This record gives sequence, structure tokens and C-alpha cells, in this order.
Amino acid sequence: MKAIHYINQFFAGIGGEEKADHKPEIREGLVGPSLALNSMLDAEVTHTIVCGDNYMGSNTEEAVSTILGFLEGKEFDIFVAGPAFQAGRYGVACGTICKAVKEKFNVPVLTSMNEENPGVEMFKRDVVIFKGGKSAAKLRDDVKVMAEYGNKVLTGKALGPADEEGYFSRGIRSQVWLESEATAAQRGVEMLIRKLKGETYETELPIPKQDMVPIAPPIKDLSEANIALVTSGGIVPIDNPDRIQSASATRWGKYDISDIENLESGVYKTIHAGYDPTAADLDPDVVVPLDVMKEYLREGRIGKLHKYFYSTVGTGTTQAEAARMGREIVENLKEDKVDGVILTST
Amino acid sequence: MITIKGCEGMKLEIGNFQVNDVVFGKKTEFSGGTLTINKEEAMTFIKEDEHITDLDIVIAKPGENTRIVPVKEAVEPRIRPDGRPVFPGVTGDVEAAGEGKVHALKGCSVLGVGMHYGSFGDGLIDMGGEGAKYTLFSELINICIVADTDEEYERFEQQKKNTAIRMATHRLAEYLGNTVKELEPDTIESFELEPVTKRKKEINDLQSVVLVMQPQSQMEEIGYNDLVYGWDMNKYVPTFMHPNEVLDGAMISGSFMPSSSKWSTYDFQNFPTIKELYKEHGKSINFLGVIMSNLNVSLEQKKRSSIFVAQMAKSLGADGAIVTEEGYGNPDADYILCIAALEDVGVKTVGISNECTGRDGASQPLVTLDEKANALVSTGNVSQLIELPPADKVIGELEALARDGLSGGWAYDEILGPSVREDGSIIMENNAMFCGDRIAGWSTKTMKEF
Repeated sequence: MKAIHYINQFFAGIGGEEKADHKPEIREGLVGPSLALNSMLDAEVTHTIVCGDNYMGSNTEEAVSTILGFLEGKEFDIFVAGPAFQAGRYGVACGTICKAVKEKFNVPVLTSMNEENPGVEMFKRDVVIFKGGKSAAKLRDDVKVMAEYGNKVLTGKALGPADEEGYFSRGIRSQVWLESEATAAQRGVEMLIRKLKGETYETELPIPKQDMVPIAPPIKDLSEANIALVTSGGIVPIDNPDRIQSASATRWGKYDISDIENLESGVYKTIHAGYDPTAADLDPDVVVPLDVMKEYLREGRIGKLHKYFYSTVGTGTTQAEAARMGREIVENLKEDKVDGVILTST
Repeated sequence: MITIKGCEGMKLEIGNFQVNDVVFGKKTEFSGGTLTINKEEAMTFIKEDEHITDLDIVIAKPGENTRIVPVKEAVEPRIRPDGRPVFPGVTGDVEAAGEGKVHALKGCSVLGVGMHYGSFGDGLIDMGGEGAKYTLFSELINICIVADTDEEYERFEQQKKNTAIRMATHRLAEYLGNTVKELEPDTIESFELEPVTKRKKEINDLQSVVLVMQPQSQMEEIGYNDLVYGWDMNKYVPTFMHPNEVLDGAMISGSFMPSSSKWSTYDFQNFPTIKELYKEHGKSINFLGVIMSNLNVSLEQKKRSSIFVAQMAKSLGADGAIVTEEGYGNPDADYILCIAALEDVGVKTVGISNECTGRDGASQPLVTLDEKANALVSTGNVSQLIELPPADKVIGELEALARDGLSGGWAYDEILGPSVREDGSIIMENNAMFCGDRIAGWSTKTMKEF
């Protein structure tokens, strides 16, 4: 097993602030903190990459591409950066390079920072960042935690949740079988008794902060506006040409409606598995109101009806997938300068 | 008729018979821990329903390398010695449940399995290997009704009522229960709650708790939803029920919800959260009873139900509540709304349900969120990917998982390929694990941040 370690100019012994523009270099063997890492990791640290924090900060693209170039063709099973403690630019550099290495080489990447380090917020969703100390006095401790986790990864051992392992949550929630074998019934009743007594308890699902989208300002003149129809109600041409899934959708489709007056039963249908399809199959316009929109168009109530309607399935579809599909659909709408969207569900 | 006099409450005695083995043989009987079934007679009995056109009965035991799919329903075999039906309004006349004696064959269940076709809410059970940990039913001896029916109107529908197969499981469960009708049970579990206003001071002085159940009732067409005393719960508003009614066959599972979020009839008969509340009754809490709510489609309906529930809890004097939903996704709105409504009237509330955080685990766990839901038990992620090797034997039809639109299966995916591979190995979402998230309270799974 082989590892490659990334550190900054300061920990490489090159210098402090005055040397922070140091360009990336790769050295064979161990430099500074990699001695500690090498002694604790069940892998040989074959190379150390050194880069100045300012250089990484102000020439990010060049720095990253140079370093990825260094790594090209090298054998390594794991990539470690830092620890960066409270050093902000160093933390951001560790996050940046870990993310890039993970994406390019698909190897496990690890780093460590103090919770005050801005790199935590920027990269905790992409990279395993261990909760590190404030200063270099904690170097050995921080390296040890990373190495222990790294050893589990390298040997394929079971990995515990973020809290137990000591890294910042990546926002990934996953199933775990409880060693205590406490059932949901026991946990629920116990939690209720504690709540009733005013004792402390720990919810198993902390409610995350809401991601609210502000309401858009109203369209000033509807008779001039270009309106589009978008649905998560699963209305598609009868043969479902884009093979949109009936639940947990990851695909969407767009269908030309410029030459039709309404969505006819037998020509269109719903493939959505989360509601009773009878009414929608009998008259798909009840989900995507094309008939009414065409009437509005003739009456001049709206200026234009966008050429396509867009469709996917909302049931079981994750927020992340929905957001991605939304962004992709919006690109199409922007091209045609759509002013407003009627978004229908089921 | 039930007569409740004075301070006496409704008392249910479940006489348990531990089943160690199930075999086919000459005579259908229970003896020495072994349930013997005369297969031919049992098949003739099931086929009394002319809608069953093709039939087999197969026994699956824990540890076998057997995969069962598409599973539609699970029922614990039971009988009522006094002749009342085990499932009132379903296997017989509408009669009051929850009081008196019922005999139960423990450690086994009757499964309703499609011989060919599956539907959205059907699930998969692995009896052995790595897949066994995903469902409770791998731990039971399963008497599988493997059947095809004449329900042509829905043969190629993704949503099926599965009426004939589901009703066959309830009927066979009662038929097998007959073997212990006259026998003395190994153990007796007793469940008794005094009338709410007639309890002793030391019980009344404890914090009072209700259980709010939200069974699946979202299909507006009759035939897919859970039943209460044989009544389709889509046309229903929340009602105060005795927990014994739930344990004693008043509730029947439906045919709509993605399988891992489902409560089978077996779950209702053994509802662990009810049993746990009973355990604490008179010790740390005063268990008032069950507010049987529902799950709805429109926001107005959801709100109306939450108003009913909060009012009932308040009027009953509940200090605390547990809310649990049979579902995920859209029903999360009912779940969170109900929890918030209870908190708003001062009832301290805990929720028990699963989550949908996506295949990568990074999505919002519930469809709606409210900070008032500050005490939640989580039983799993419906969309967690599960990959399992081929099984030696399949009961039912494996291809159903991919072909028939089971909530956790797919026929095609550009990255993952089809759910069912040529060698018989599978890749699926937890969604299709039969009652896999064990929301009724069995679950030893939780969700953690990674």
C-alpha cells in the first residue's frame, strides 16, 4: 500500500508568510509531518507534495493541474493532506487538492482541520475532514486520527459514522444496525419518557435548516409573458420515450406541444407510481393544463406558450436529484427567455 | 357482545403456541411444536375463492438460501376459540375485536406471493445470507401461498389491489389457526387497559400517553388501502381505538405503500410500539390508548386529520404522544403536520418513521420538516442501494422485481443495469425489502451521519 501526502511551505520548513508563494513541488520520501504519518499509516508514504498557501489560493487552477500532473502515473492507494489546524489558507488548500485528487483518481482522500477553519464549511460535503486541533501542538494527535481511519479504509474494515470516527459530517445519512439491538419501539418509548420528564434525549433525525426559495416577483404583464409548463406528475407520451422512472426518478423529458391543442388520452399518460392514475390517464390535461393554456393564448391572456412541456416523476425522487433536474430544465427555459412557469405536481 | 362493567377494562389474552417446524403431511394439525399441513386440503380451501386460478403452497425456513418475491402480505396464523372471526369484517362478520381469547401460532407467518406478477407495494424476502438481515420475515417460518389470479383488469398495472392473494393469506391464517383452537397455549400474553376515566389514582398521576397511528389510506379508489373492521380507510376520519383492537385483527394491511415502509397485517397483530407502551403502563406512563388516524392526499385532508388528532389527544388529557406513519414521501406531510399539531396543543411528541435520503444519502430526509418535530426515531433509508448474490431457490418470480414496477426495482438503469441480472443476482433499493424498515417498532436500524 502506498500513500502520498500534501503539506504547505511552512510545514516543509521552507518558510512562513514570505514563502507562501512557493510553487508546487513533489519530493520523494518524507518531509515534516509525513514522518509522523508514515509511522502510523499501514502504507508507505512514497512522496510528499509541497505548495505555498498563497500560490494555491491565488493560482488555484495552475496549482491543482500541476499537482495532478505530478500524481499522474504514480501508484497510491490513499491521499492525505494537512493537518491544517486553524490556518485558513492551508485548510482551503487541503480541501481543494483533496477534492481534485478524489475526482481525478478516485482514491480515498483525508484531511484534518480545526472547526474554525473556513475550509471545513467549504469542503466538508466533498472530503472527509477530521476535527483537528487549533495549532501544531496537536500535530501527532491529528495525524493519528487520520491514520487510524486511513488504515480502516485501506484494509476494507467497517467505517463508523462521522461522530464516532471524528470527522465533520458530509451530510450523508445512512442506515446503521445498532449494536445494542434496541428496537425502534424501545427507543421511541424511552425518548418519550425522557421528553416528558424534561430530561435530555437525542433525536435520531435532527431537523436540518430549511433551504427556502424566495417567492419570485409577480409578472407585470401576463399578456406579454412567455409561459412554460413543467410537471412532476409523470405525464409523458404513451411509450415513455425517455424511460423516466415511475418512482425515484433521475430522468426528465421535454415534449413538443406547439402543434397540439391538448394532451389526449391514449397519446399521453402518467407513469407516476405515487398516485391513482385513473383521472390523469383519462385526461392528461388535468395534470398538465395544456388545453386551458392554449385557450389563454388565443384569448391573448398570455403572450406566448413555450414550445415544450417538461416532465419527470416526483414520488420518492430525492431532493438532490430534483434540484439537478430543475437546474437542467431551467437552462432550456432560459434559452427561450421564459418569464413564468406553471409547475404542477399530482 | 362485549360488556364493560365498572372499572374492568377490555382484556385480550393471546395464547401463544411456539412453532418450531412446519411440514406437509397427512393431517393438518399442531403437535409437539410442529405444524403439519395437508397441502391438498389447504389448496382446496384456498381455491374456494374462484379468483385463484393457479396455486402452490411452499414452505420457506430461516437460513435457507431462498429468495421470495413478489411478497404482498404477511399474516400470523390465529384462531378465536369462541368462534368469532380472526379478522372481523374480512374473514367473517363484523364483530368487536380486542377482548377475550385468541390463539396464535408464533414463529411463523402466512405469506401472499405472486406466482408471476408483482406490483408497486410488493417486496422481497431473503431467508438466508446477507439479505436476511433486511427483513424480520427471514426469522420466521413462512408458509407461502404462491398464486395467480383472474384479476385481468390489473394484471399489467403497476398498482394492484392484489385482492384475491391478500384475502387468501387472511383466510389461510385462520384455517391454520384452527389447529390450536382446542389446545392449551404454551404461554399467555395478557393485555388490559382500564377505561380512561376509571383508572386508579396512582396510574392517573403518571404522565398520560397516546399512540397516534397513521395507516396507509391514500388511494381514492377502494381496494388498495388498509382496512379497519373491513372498512376501507380512505373513507375514514381519526377515531379513538383500544390498542387491543389493533393487536386482535381489527386492522388489515393494504396494497399500495412501497414495501419497506409498509405495515403488514402481521405487524398490526404484533405491533411492537403498542407492546412497549403496555410494558410501561402503570410504571412510568399512563397509556390512554390509540388514536387511529389516517394518511391523506390533499393538504386540506391532512390538516383536518391533524386537527382531529390534536383535539382528541388534548381532550383525553394526553401529556405525551408517539406518532408513527405507514409510509414515506407524501405521507411525511401528514406525519410532520400531526406532530406539530400535537406540540402546538402542548402534547410532547415523539415520531417513529423511516427516511428517504437518496441513494447517495445526501437528500432531505423527510418531504416536509418542522422544528417542532424535535424527537424522532428513524428506522432506515428507503433508497439505500442493496446488492445481493443469486439465491439457490426462488419462490414466486424473480423477474417481477425488475419488470413489474416494484418500488425498489427497475427494468433499466444506464449506470446500474436492471435490478435482476442474468445470473440471478440483484440490485435494488431498500424500498422493495418486505416491511424492511420495520416501522411498527421492530427496527434495530437507525440513521447516522457519515
